[in-house]
Amino acid sequence: MSKTELRAWPGRIKATWQAITIPLVAIILSLLIGAIILAISGASPLAAYTALWEGAFGDSTALGRTLEKATPLIFSGLAVAFAFKAGLFNIGAQGQLLFGAVIAAGIGFGIKGLPAVIHAPLALFIGALAGALYGAIPGALKTYTGAHEVITTIMLNYIAINITDYLADGPWKDSSPGNVVARTPAILASAEIPRLNNIPLGFFIAALVAIVIWWLLWRTTIGYEIRTVGLNPNAAGYAGIKVARTVILSLVISGFVAGMGGAIETQGVVGRFQPGFNQGLGFDGITIALLSKTHPIGVIPAAILVGAMRAGSSRMQFKADVAAEIIDVIQALMLFFVAADIIVRWLIRLRATDTEKITLSTGWGKQ
Amino acid sequence: MRKITLLITILLLSMILVACGGGGSEEEATTAPEPTEATVEEATEAPPAEEGDCSSPDVFCVGLVTDVGEIDDKSFNQSAWEGVQQAEADLGAQVDYIETQDAKDYAANIGLFADEGYDVVVTVGFALGAATMEAACTYPDIDFIGVDQFQSPVAPEGWACGDQTWPMSNLAGLLFAEDKAGFLAGALAAMMSQSGTIAAVLGTDLVPPVVAFKEGYENGALYINPDITLISTYHPGGLDVAFTDPEWGAATARQALDQGADVVFGAGGKTGNGALIEVAGQEGAYCIGVDSDQWETVPEAHACLISSAMKLITPGVFDLVSASHGGSFPTGNFIGSVGLAPFHDFDGTVPADVKSRLDEINKGLEDGSISTGYNPGG
Repeated sequence: MSKTELRAWPGRIKATWQAITIPLVAIILSLLIGAIILAISGASPLAAYTALWEGAFGDSTALGRTLEKATPLIFSGLAVAFAFKAGLFNIGAQGQLLFGAVIAAGIGFGIKGLPAVIHAPLALFIGALAGALYGAIPGALKTYTGAHEVITTIMLNYIAINITDYLADGPWKDSSPGNVVARTPAILASAEIPRLNNIPLGFFIAALVAIVIWWLLWRTTIGYEIRTVGLNPNAAGYAGIKVARTVILSLVISGFVAGMGGAIETQGVVGRFQPGFNQGLGFDGITIALLSKTHPIGVIPAAILVGAMRAGSSRMQFKADVAAEIIDVIQALMLFFVAADIIVRWLIRLRATDTEKITLSTGWGKQ
Repeated sequence: MRKITLLITILLLSMILVACGGGGSEEEATTAPEPTEATVEEATEAPPAEEGDCSSPDVFCVGLVTDVGEIDDKSFNQSAWEGVQQAEADLGAQVDYIETQDAKDYAANIGLFADEGYDVVVTVGFALGAATMEAACTYPDIDFIGVDQFQSPVAPEGWACGDQTWPMSNLAGLLFAEDKAGFLAGALAAMMSQSGTIAAVLGTDLVPPVVAFKEGYENGALYINPDITLISTYHPGGLDVAFTDPEWGAATARQALDQGADVVFGAGGKTGNGALIEVAGQEGAYCIGVDSDQWETVPEAHACLISSAMKLITPGVFDLVSASHGGSFPTGNFIGSVGLAPFHDFDGTVPADVKSRLDEINKGLEDGSISTGYNPGG
């Protein structure tokens, strides 16, 4: 009987529910297993999670830091998720993000005399464009030479790290007296992306970009072509879609988004480009994309979740005397359960039969 | 198949229930079923929390914020933490540390200690310099010790902090003449080398002290033997990986050995440690550690480790903490000592004339008659 009820649900709600359930159960499971690990290591899971919560959402400063940490993750998560839709695994978000960050810094400190309404968006746009161009390289390599994007983007990441380090330690190095550190000068106030109270404005830009990406994918012809190529490039080509162009375009857009993430880090958080300050953000995008099941809107809560854990980890470490690495463990468990969703599906089914709620799961297994 | 998974799940769920029950409250957790081993281990690693109220004037609290990396890195963070622990033992200080996970969290982590009313905060690594300087301004009642943070003699551009004057009275940088330590290591390497080729496996040149070690090392070697062949390699990655890449360190050391090097200086956190361990597998080759006496910290390298180019971080940190405790906190830069670590098992291998030559060079470096040739300004 509830089976028929479920069938009566509009398909989209059912699909959304399905998409949300697995990550949600994965998160709960991971936190529970994390609690076991904490208990075994002699700490109190309750104290640890309380401190984690306070550090992430305890007051407006904490919330601000959570959103600040979530912001670049949204961008890199979107970049990876978007490329996934085109059937491409963009591991190069890190390099694209670095280019966005360093170029935005260059525009931010190098161009003087512009009003903030022009300067900040300009730095953001040029930074994103730098990421887009850097994303175009693996796209072109793939279409014209057949080089696989996983290989080329990994290599391009190293090139990006070294070029940006070179800029920060060479021609663009902060030459103010007493500085020995490899970093660019601070960007001008007119290029900064401000905070509203404690909440970084960059977060809202990120959320907006997520919506735009969703719209692009599901409401435009280009999006349709990208998704079709992602599903089956041969069939897409046969149907008259220009596959080569679509592949390049996908990586360009992906790079654009990653570059924008880097630019916002520079303009909204760090205030300059400094090597080491954008550590791993691009790679975290892979985590976020998987957690969100590559859905652009799902990227937002996934990034907030990971951002919150990162923002709260210091407090957890300090207050509950817990190694901060536990956060990485929990995050890895989440990924594990999302990726190996068969475990989660099976668990849900088990519980459903137990409590007579039954058939929420009929559709689960076979898809 | 289904039964097995069912079994595993039940097991898992029961574990969860047990854990939730045990972790119900803080008190319960301390009396949880398996406490002995866990608590003993924790006591050595981190001090027990909630001893006293740090904001009370009777309780002397010392906090330490690491650079991105672990407290037990067998190097920098660990040496500084040992200095803080010495303050716990000798001064009765209450101590705690925070491992930084993300370079953007420096200020927030310092703030956690400051908000608890800590009296002294030690920040480890030059990367924390800017955040420490800001915190010193925000929290004038706390003494800050910046390990490896050079305090420029003139106020940095744009520096302003109410009516505080530069240098700030509650901020001291703990610095070391790495070039001197490196010079001694280079001289030792050149004297011990049979092949006339020596190598250095280094963290990134983005970090000035690493450059100082390298330049000192090379010049020390050239001082002994002007014809020596030097293979010095910096890690090509960014700050995020340069000190945590033992695989690269090992591969680079292997390459140097293949090119005929028979003494390798490993200077760069875990990257350098990887090099030391690799060299230990090579018959007849020597290695030299960095920062602390790595005989104690990298036992895997005992087969090759003749000495280490030490920055005496532990006593430096302790001296500064006790200065703060005694109310005589210095400002500006506090120069800690450097030197070569004991030879340990190689005491018999290193000839007496090499030892006396090293003593001579050490004296020369101290009185200025020998220059390390490292001049970052020019």
